[in-house]
Amino acid sequence: MSESTMPAESFGRTVIGRAPRAAARRRGGVSFAPRWTRALKSVVVVLAAVFFLLPIAYLAMVSFMRPDDILSDRVVPSGLSWQNWSSAFDRFPVVDYLRNSLIVAAAAMVIALLIAIPANYAMARLRAGGKNIMTVIVSAYVAPPIVAIVPLFILVRKVGLMDSLVGLSLVEGLMVVPVAIWLLDDFFRNVPEEIDEAAQIDGCGPIATLVRVVLPLVAPGVVAVGIVSFILVYNDFLIPLMLSYSESTQTLPVGISLMQGGREVMYGQMAAASFTGMIPVYLLALFMQRWLIGGLTQGSVK
Amino acid sequence: MAAAATLLAAGTLAACSGGSGSTTSGSKTLRVLIAAPQEGAGKALQADYEKSTGTKVKITVVPYDQIQTKAILDAQSGANQYDVIQYWYTSVGALAQADALDDLTGWVDKDKDIDKSDFIAPIYNAYTQYKGKTYGLPFDGDTHLLYYNKKILADNGVKPPTTWDEYLADVKKITDANKSKGIYGAVMMGDKSAFNIGSTFFNRLATFSSSPIDSQKPDLTSPAALAAAKSMVDAAPYTAPSPSQIGFDQALALFLSGKIGMMEAWTDLGTFAQDPSQSKIADNWGAVPLPAGAGGKTAAPLDAGWALGVSPSAPDQDAAKDFVKFATSKAENLKLVTTTGSGVDPTRTSTLESDKYKSFTPVVAAALTQILGNAQSWPTSPNAPKMIQSLNDNLAQMLQGSLTPQQALDATEKAWDAL
Amino acid sequence: MTTAAPVPTSADGPRRHRLIGWALIAPALAAVAIIAAYPLVYTVLVSFSKSTLGRPFQSWVGWGQIVTAFTDGGQLASILRSLEFAVPAAVLSVVIGLVIALSLDTATRGGRVVRVIMLLPLMTPPVMAGVIWKLMFAPTGGLFNDLLAGAGLISEPVLFLGASPAAMICLIVVDIWQWTPFCVLLIFAALQSMPREVYEAAQVDGAGVWRTFRSVTFPLVLPSLVTVLMLKVIVSFKVFDLVFVMTSGGPGLDTNVASFNVYRTALQQFDLGAAGAQTIAFIVLVTIVVLPIATWRSRLLKAGSRA
Repeated sequence: MSESTMPAESFGRTVIGRAPRAAARRRGGVSFAPRWTRALKSVVVVLAAVFFLLPIAYLAMVSFMRPDDILSDRVVPSGLSWQNWSSAFDRFPVVDYLRNSLIVAAAAMVIALLIAIPANYAMARLRAGGKNIMTVIVSAYVAPPIVAIVPLFILVRKVGLMDSLVGLSLVEGLMVVPVAIWLLDDFFRNVPEEIDEAAQIDGCGPIATLVRVVLPLVAPGVVAVGIVSFILVYNDFLIPLMLSYSESTQTLPVGISLMQGGREVMYGQMAAASFTGMIPVYLLALFMQRWLIGGLTQGSVK
Repeated sequence: MAAAATLLAAGTLAACSGGSGSTTSGSKTLRVLIAAPQEGAGKALQADYEKSTGTKVKITVVPYDQIQTKAILDAQSGANQYDVIQYWYTSVGALAQADALDDLTGWVDKDKDIDKSDFIAPIYNAYTQYKGKTYGLPFDGDTHLLYYNKKILADNGVKPPTTWDEYLADVKKITDANKSKGIYGAVMMGDKSAFNIGSTFFNRLATFSSSPIDSQKPDLTSPAALAAAKSMVDAAPYTAPSPSQIGFDQALALFLSGKIGMMEAWTDLGTFAQDPSQSKIADNWGAVPLPAGAGGKTAAPLDAGWALGVSPSAPDQDAAKDFVKFATSKAENLKLVTTTGSGVDPTRTSTLESDKYKSFTPVVAAALTQILGNAQSWPTSPNAPKMIQSLNDNLAQMLQGSLTPQQALDATEKAWDAL
Repeated sequence: MTTAAPVPTSADGPRRHRLIGWALIAPALAAVAIIAAYPLVYTVLVSFSKSTLGRPFQSWVGWGQIVTAFTDGGQLASILRSLEFAVPAAVLSVVIGLVIALSLDTATRGGRVVRVIMLLPLMTPPVMAGVIWKLMFAPTGGLFNDLLAGAGLISEPVLFLGASPAAMICLIVVDIWQWTPFCVLLIFAALQSMPREVYEAAQVDGAGVWRTFRSVTFPLVLPSLVTVLMLKVIVSFKVFDLVFVMTSGGPGLDTNVASFNVYRTALQQFDLGAAGAQTIAFIVLVTIVVLPIATWRSRLLKAGSRA
């Protein structure tokens, strides 16, 4: 079935690492590859791991370097220090930035899911909206966000939500709706028709069917898409750059961008603050991995 | 954190002794937008003002290249986040036209405490005037001097240059001999954001020109403009790598680390250079007026430079004005100028003439008084932000090698004409 | 705008269901209206007017700004720079992603660890990714220059972000670092879903590794590759954060991609009208590039489902 190549499904499944283990085992069993290809594969994988990991390791190292060492020509620092960390937290409201980032990402995720789930249900199960509605919704994601920045700025100002976490969460939440709907689509379409019919025979209306029958079945997909939405918002820069002014609303990426342009070179502080901001999403990535492997059996939508 | 009662008490006291008629009280918070390079000054002002009036001050620090946008957006958005706005003087026209700054003419003229005649005249005029009205008061009077590392110059048998030709020869000499040790004859601020590359060019434009620069629209078709642009391109290969990536933060760090022979920089660099906690060149640096070009003379190009204005949306205009007056006053200018790390430079004649300033940074004070008679302003019309950006873009392309100096100036001239 | 859409054809749902259906979609459509339709209309209107950030819609100026956006050397150049960035970044991410996906074996412990490692760049906020790589590329104190100098390979720093075309290449490298994992994950999933029988058949035929890949794996995975390519091109066109943090569009204007140029025009020069016109030119470019890939993709998918 061609559905399996839909980005939505593969995205939903694999970003969260739910590549079916059974399949992996199965393919691993087909060991037609000669030894040299296996060696080559190992080399590729090791190189990839180094390439992906090295910058992060370097950032960690810089965050612990003495300010003197950062601008010098040495690769290995002359010693380690906490100075960048304490200076970053003393001079910049890193904790506030982090809190704002987490609040906005969580709130936007909830908003996006609350809007997307009913829409997905209506499109996939009630066949509402016709064939082209998905195209309309997804095309909203294709346009680069810079297009929307000034008009949204003016709108947010009109409704008096400038420089507020509420305004920021709302805009971010709405911005993620198209992605969320797109990613959720396959999860909803994979629920067998008979289940709805059975629910209807039991006297459930459409909404009751959604809440009581369909939602539990697509829960793994909802969690996965929720996490993706969370990360998209957490990592965003342009919208918070425009809509937040003060320390009480600025998110971590905005805060870190503000560390440039002062009188001093703040490489060490930026490294420390960046690392602080990366930890939550990294934990999420690790946590997701575990969640997914554990949830493999119950997560199967089919 | 002072207890609320203390604040209130201080507020009452201030109200009794204030005399400026402001109705500030301890319960109010004044919100001030400050650019990152003046963060130190912002913090100091906050403390001073809170102490002397009891009014609470909240400082928001923004990177210097975003401050105009923030100010305009704030006025436009109705967010009303700020009462007092620090602005780069070149945007005075744009900000005034966008209703982001209040017209302060009447108040400035009437209030004798301001003593506007004490402001250094060219600074006052450039920083605050648009269409004959006054939109702010000078806060940080920025101009460039040529700083040098005594040891590096001496080791290479070089004296501080007085012409750009000498400068080029000296830079080349030092770099050629010391590059392998990581020492360069000069560092050039060629980063195209806001005022790095612009300052580097204006320093030369001002000192190559025989006549004053037209601050409405500098003449880029003049031989002086071409010579200025060329002198950048000529020196760039011998300066610390790479000019196009060097902003003043990197330049400052390099110079203070003792690896740079010469650097064009703002007058407050002197205070940094003398601070051993940040500088490896304390007592080992000097400052002279910028070199002059052929046919030109040394000058004080008004690079960067900040004023304080009042947001039209400030709920309490009097309180905001009172803060502006306080922050730009003789006493405060002198105090900030003589505080290491404030980022503030003289705006007032009284500061320049004071013994305190002269003894705080004698070398800089001496050089500065020589040149302020020939202060040259950047454009300040409502189109200035666009003019400066297109100039900087074209200069950046020139440094990077895709445009010749002539092409860069022609392209800029064309863009300016289109405005 | 939405009521004109065709009413669902399925006759099985009673009228009430259809109403409920529309009611359930309505918030999503409202979201699209707010974040896409309204900005688009605004952008079009603003591009026909003299508008500053301070005073939008001062007067109507006709087609002038739009024509400028499509003909002015500088503005056109920024649009082409987006292309210069997005196409190599997308193609390379997909190619490298395919190589890694083919090599990855999550049946082993090492493979699973690598898959977790690969999540990290993908999770890294682009601003932070920009900070990391800017530090590594720095002329003084940057990792690469220190390593090269330490190895005695260079006598003066390499200007990674300060020279052409190095700066654009560096941005592409960072983009590849950040997004290749995404491509790997998608392609890996597509490879996993391929029927095992085909491999067995190929094996029986005695096909070599390269032939198996060329005649079996590649055709089967091609629709997925094109899908990933399309996604990646779309994502690459959005690049802003990396440019903002790493180069500010420099050196010169070499990395002044369209999204950054629009930002500068609107928010540093305050010229909303010109920014709107540039935005429209940019949207046209994105459409011109994405549409053929989308058509290719749906043709491949159709061919696949027929076979």
